[in-house]
Amino acid sequence: MKSIKVATIVCALIAGLNAASLHAQSHSIAKSPASAIEVEMIQPGEINLPAEFQVALYENLVQQLKNEGGFSQVYRDGDQNAAKAPDLVILHTTVTGFKKGSEMERNVTTVGGATSITVHCEFTDKEGKTLLERDIDGKVRFFGDNLKATADFAKKAAKITRERFTPDRNDSDSDSGILR
Amino acid sequence: MKLEQATLLPLLLFLGSVASLGQTQPAPAETEALQVTGLTGVKQNTKGSLKVENGSFSFVCPKGTYDVPVASIKDVVTGNDSKRAIGGTIGTLTMLAPYGAGRAISLLRDKIDTLTIQYRDSSGGLHGAIFTLPVGHADAIKEQLLAQGARTSIPSKPEPTTDPSLQSDAKEQLR
Repeated sequence: MKSIKVATIVCALIAGLNAASLHAQSHSIAKSPASAIEVEMIQPGEINLPAEFQVALYENLVQQLKNEGGFSQVYRDGDQNAAKAPDLVILHTTVTGFKKGSEMERNVTTVGGATSITVHCEFTDKEGKTLLERDIDGKVRFFGDNLKATADFAKKAAKITRERFTPDRNDSDSDSGILR
Repeated sequence: MKLEQATLLPLLLFLGSVASLGQTQPAPAETEALQVTGLTGVKQNTKGSLKVENGSFSFVCPKGTYDVPVASIKDVVTGNDSKRAIGGTIGTLTMLAPYGAGRAISLLRDKIDTLTIQYRDSSGGLHGAIFTLPVGHADAIKEQLLAQGARTSIPSKPEPTTDPSLQSDAKEQLR
């Protein structure tokens, strides 16, 4: 009876280790390491996006990538120094959806008035070859002003960027808020 | 009859001068503002004041003065919004007030102007900054910036044209 228990535990451990190594392999294969990223200005596309949202999206994205992206250099749109970076990734972004909610409505009703933004993010190399494409959204449902949705987007975008382009860090694979 | 004219004329002149003074009210030298985000070296939601002078756009806050050369500003846009009358941590705590009082308090809101600028640094990198100001002040700052060489994607006033043919051309293009 005891030997059966031991055998079951050993089998479970072996299976667990195999799964972990496979997961790690798939992670390492998916990554395209880069040391620098250039963030282009958010393009409003067909959407009538207020200027403050455009700028807040851009600034929060740059800030989040600096803090959480894991790159040695984060360049802004038009920075001449970006051309010198050997393995540069360029992030192009276009807003594809925007709903300006109301902070007052959120506070009063607790269910309505959410603000949401959807941004199509395309990562390319210097030659323009697409490395990754994702639709990422940002929302504010209850606390905070409407611009908080831009910070939510920036956090999600920085997380995806880190998982895909920064070689030394392994993060969880959860894709909450990421639209494929 | 001449006496009536003599009394009316000074009265009209006086009223005219009062009206013209009202129209050409100069913008205040410094305007209270909240830097929402974007200005390099300044924390988000920092209170301070804005001024435009000698080709420089300055945000003055307790930690120092942050300047942006007006010539480097490639876009200035104004807008309007509203914010909670009681903000910050206290504002959030008031939402927990009993009997729906928190929700009632959140109905109290102040109207504000927003001023959004985009500018390039010395290496060409694009920056953006957002400020909120008391109602009616953002347009004055924008006019000052435009007068000193900044550019805008949304002109507040149409360019005055004296040539009627040019005016009709502009109208055609708008259509």
